[in-house]
Formats: sequence, C-alpha cells, structure tokens
Amino acid sequence: MSEITLTELEKRYGETTAVEDVSVEIRDGELLCLLGPSGSGKSTTLRMIAGLETPTSGEITLAGADVTDQPAYERNTSTVFQDWALFPHKTVLENVAFGLKMRDVPKEERRERAEAMLERVQMGGYGDEDPTTLSGGQKQRVALARSLAVNPDVLLLDEPLSNLDKRLREDMQIELREIHEDLEETFVHVTHDQDEAFTLADRIGIMDQGELIQVGEPTEVYENPANRFIEGFLGDTNFVDSEVVGVTDGAIRVETELGYELVLPTDRDPDVVEGTELTLSLRPEVLSIERDPAADAVEGDEQPVLADGSTLNAVVGTIENVLYRGSTVRYSVSVNGTAMFAERTGASTDALTAGEEIRIEWDGTDVLAFRADGSRVTL
Amino acid sequence: MAETNSQFPRSLEGVRESLGQQSGSNRALLLMAPLLAFELLVFVVPFFILLRISFAEESSDLVYAEGTWTLEAYSSVLTSDLLWSIVGFSFLLGVVVTVLSVLIGLFYAYAIWRSTGLVKSLLLFSVVLPLLTTLVIRTYAFNPLLAPSGTLNELLLSLGLISSPIQFVPGTVGVVVGQLYIVLPYAVLAIYSVLATMDWHVVEAARDLGASRPRSVLEVVVPQAMPGIIVAAVISFAWSVGAYAAPDLLSGNITFAMQVEGLMLSDMRYPLAAAFSVVMLLLMLASIAIMFTLLNRLGGEFELA
Repeated sequence: MSEITLTELEKRYGETTAVEDVSVEIRDGELLCLLGPSGSGKSTTLRMIAGLETPTSGEITLAGADVTDQPAYERNTSTVFQDWALFPHKTVLENVAFGLKMRDVPKEERRERAEAMLERVQMGGYGDEDPTTLSGGQKQRVALARSLAVNPDVLLLDEPLSNLDKRLREDMQIELREIHEDLEETFVHVTHDQDEAFTLADRIGIMDQGELIQVGEPTEVYENPANRFIEGFLGDTNFVDSEVVGVTDGAIRVETELGYELVLPTDRDPDVVEGTELTLSLRPEVLSIERDPAADAVEGDEQPVLADGSTLNAVVGTIENVLYRGSTVRYSVSVNGTAMFAERTGASTDALTAGEEIRIEWDGTDVLAFRADGSRVTL
Repeated sequence: MAETNSQFPRSLEGVRESLGQQSGSNRALLLMAPLLAFELLVFVVPFFILLRISFAEESSDLVYAEGTWTLEAYSSVLTSDLLWSIVGFSFLLGVVVTVLSVLIGLFYAYAIWRSTGLVKSLLLFSVVLPLLTTLVIRTYAFNPLLAPSGTLNELLLSLGLISSPIQFVPGTVGVVVGQLYIVLPYAVLAIYSVLATMDWHVVEAARDLGASRPRSVLEVVVPQAMPGIIVAAVISFAWSVGAYAAPDLLSGNITFAMQVEGLMLSDMRYPLAAAFSVVMLLLMLASIAIMFTLLNRLGGEFELA
C-alpha cells in the first residue's frame, strides 16, 4: 500500500506563499495529475512529497507513516525531473543502477536489474552510451528507467514530457499510461498541459495560485468545474458577461453583453438575485452554427423547451474571421459588436466565409454560470 | 567613384575567399600566431638559454664559461644531499598545500554555489579581497599573527589551551598557512567556475535516489567538478613547489626557488642554478602528469566502497 495524504500543506518563501492549504488523499495505485499554470505551486507540492522541499506547515504521510520531516534519501519515492537530471559523467547503465548502488545492491545484481529496466523502456543496448549524447526522448526514457529501477512506492513526475516535441510527447503519454497500468504503483504527475492530464490521469487535481481547487476524474472536472478559473483553463470557451434581470421558478433571466436576453433553466434555488453579475461560459462544442440568413435570434420568452427538457438559444452574428486548423475550422463571430468564437469540423462541406451572417445555437442547459468572484452557480 | 565603390567590397571578398580556402586547422593556427610568438619569445627562447647554460662549465671570473660543454653541473645537483633535501622540502610544501587548498577550495566553492543573494556576493568578495593587497604584505602579516608573541599564541595562552607559546613562524606551519593563503583564492575560483555551470537538479536526483548528503557530493558533485579540481590542484602545486615569498618570509627551511636565487645572485654559479632548475622542471612535469592521470581516473566511475 502506498497511498499519500497531504494535510493542510503549506510552503512559504519569505513573503510569498507558493503552496497554501493543500489537502488531498492520493489513492494507492492511482495516477493523479496535478494540473495548473506555471507558478501555481504544483511542482512545489510534488517536491514536498519527494522530500526535496520542507513544508512550512502541514503533514505528509506515505503509506500511513508520517514522512513530513524525512529527507528525500530516506523516502521511497522517486522523481523524474523536467530536465531529466541524468548524471552526465556516468554511463546510461550507471545512471539506471545508481539508486540500487545507494541501496547497496551487489554489483552483478544491479547491473542485471538496470539492464532489464532499460529493456523495459525500450533502451536496451544503450547501457554503455554517454547520456549527454542521447536525444530528448531517449533521455526521458533513461530518467524513467532510473526512477523505476529502485522500485519506488510512489513515482513522481515533474513535467518530464514538456521538453519533448508534440508527437513524441503523445507517444510517451500512452507509454507512461501503459507502464502505470503494468506496475499498479502510485504515480503523481505534474503538468501544465490539460491534454496530457486528460490522457494520463485517473484523477486530476487542479491548482491555481498555490491552492488545490478541485480534485476529480477528468470528465468530472471538465463537465463540472468548481470555478471560473478551471472552466477557462480546461480548453477554450466563450465567457459572456451578463446581469440577472429576473428570477422565476425554474429559470433565471439574464441580459448579456451580446445584446440578447437569455433564459437559464434551473431546477434548484440558485442563490442569485436581480442585479447579480454572472459570467456565462459557452464552450465551442455546445455551439452549432446555422447558415440561415432568414433565421432570427431565439431569446427571452421565445426560447422553446424541447421534449427532452433542453431549451434552444440562438443569437445572430457576422463572421469576422475564418481560421482553418485542419481537423476543425474556427470562426470568429461578432455578435452586436461582442467577439465570440465557434467551431465546426474541417469536413463541413458548405464553407462559411468572412462577412456572412449566421446564427449560433445552443442548448440552454449546456451553459455554465459563474459569479463575479469566480465561484460556480449551480443551475 | 562607382568603380572604387565596387572594388572595395570585391577586395574584402577576396580576402574572405582566400581565408575560406584555408583548412580549419590552418586558420586556427593563424589566430593563435600572436600567442605562439609571445610564448616563443618569453618562454621557449629563455628556456633554451637556461638549458644551454646548464651544460656550461663554471668560470671563476664570469657567471659561466661561454662555449664550453660539460655535465658537471648535473652531477653536482644529483649528488648533493643539501639540494635533495631542499627538493624534498619543496615537494612536501607543495603536496601539503595542494591537498589543503583543494579540500578547502571545494568546500568554499560549494558554499558559494549553494548560497544566494548577499551571502553569495560576500563569499565571492571575500575570495577576491586578499588579491587586492600585495602578496608580500599579506604574507608578512602572518608574522605578527603567528609569532611566538603574536596574536594567536596570546589567545591560546589566555584560554589556557597551551602553557608555553608555540613557534608557528618561522616554521613549517607558518609557511603552509602563508602559502595556502596565497593559492586558495585561485583554487576556489577554479572549482567554483565549474560548479557554477552545474545543474543542481542532478544533486537532487542523487538524493532522491537514496544518496545521503555527503554521498551525493562525492558521487555527483566531485566527479563533475573534476576539471576545476585539476586546475586548482595544478595551480596550487606548481606555485607551492616553486614558492619563494612565503618560505622566505615565514619559513626556517629553504625551498628550491630560494636556493636557486642564492646560487645565481650570491654564489654566481649559473650552471649549477640552471641545472638545478632543469631537474626541478622535469620533476614537476612528472608529478603533474601523475596528478592528472590520478584525478582524471577519479572523474570517471567514482567507487566509494
């Protein structure tokens, strides 16, 4: 068993707080991704788990034992660093065997185990190479083998893929995933790349400004974000400012900066009053573009409630810009002077061009709303 | 006007072309020419003059007899017990100072490397500071400090650690301290310059994989710092074996440099002095070659057990 618990973990450097009140339970055998922009404290959190930083306050337990004050070399955790930090004066094999050497494993045995581990990461036969001559992807594999060779309770990965090019990174993500499934060990992976987190993670922990905001499965954090920051950070979205103009049973009426009045259906008491400022999030995947010059906007009381309980919203705008991105085409649209964007798959046959008037439609139940302080309004 | 305008770049191009046609090593040689000329003039030529004098006969009215050839000076050097004891003391001083300066230099450089902000600046400044005073003054300053009636002895006496003053100067302790103080800044800077380019993550990786603090330094820092350590060792060793000022001011013993000075300026025995210098030069070259080999081997796989 090698679950990790962090309790009210905090790290301050003088005046600045790098990590603030982080509490989380990392389950045995799971792959948790700490996701956040740079400076959000995710690497510092990881380094505290590794023992490379001492927390200012709070507690870390590893497999039930308090390791808060234990130095890195006494913890059975192993880190793969962003720059891989291979020992430049040792051969690839000596690098991989280093941890075993520190554990006083006899020379023959550590040689065999290191070679087996190199084989495992498809670097067999590179044992005698000088690590400085390897490519980025190869270094990454050696660093992974070096960390796995000591059979750690927890493998900590500090953005190890961020220095690789896109294609290689995606291959390595899949490989990491396979290794994790094979070993059934606890992995904590730090990244600023949401695609990487979605590919790898059993659960994602999202950090911002030193705080752990939400921990959950990828679908949960994406579909049910705790606050506006997460909604904006996980993929692209249209944030539309609005103000509540009326609250009735089952619906909130808002006046938006798009110049349209919209109705947000709700099935609970959303704790908003007239005058509350709300930011609506319209993700491109819930928007559809209709090329229908005769069509009008569907707003306010005109919004029909469909048979499945969803409602139809629609606004009319003019295409300002067409950005062809291969698999998708992104349209910048001006709706009464406010910029929005919507996407269609690249395969769409009826090409839309700049200057065309179009209608953007969505289901009212797909809209998320956030208060001015960023917190989510449960609709 | 137009013609001269077009001709100027053409001639420049011609120069560049003719340079481009030269092979890489030729061009490198061309760039090194001023340095080679300098070395030739101030080092190689005088050395051959010295070598020639070492094979000359002594003369009663001149410093050496011109045009004569003999091995007499070398046989005198090789058979003189006095000269060999001087060689012994010079090398002893060299070895002791080198070991101390490399060890202290490594610690000091590591401390500079790991510190930040004001502390780092202060540590670096304190290394350079002694270099701002002349060597003779800062060496002579050890006299009042280490003399039997000096500050250190008084301190030790008043603390009751010793019952009678110890004679550090003139003496071997004094000259080791004085010479160490001369070479230490260079050792620190040589090692620090290598450490400064090192990635701290590599040390963290070693600790993360189970290496204790001292072990991570031995396994990862020392082998990588080896180029700096070698430079520090060579500077310390060559300077200390050939030391003149510190032994002259602080030692009861005579080093090779002092003896050569005596032979040349007091005894006017140029051939003997030259032969002694040549022998010493060969011994130095041999010991530095051995040192290089040993340290380079340590730079590879560093087995502690």
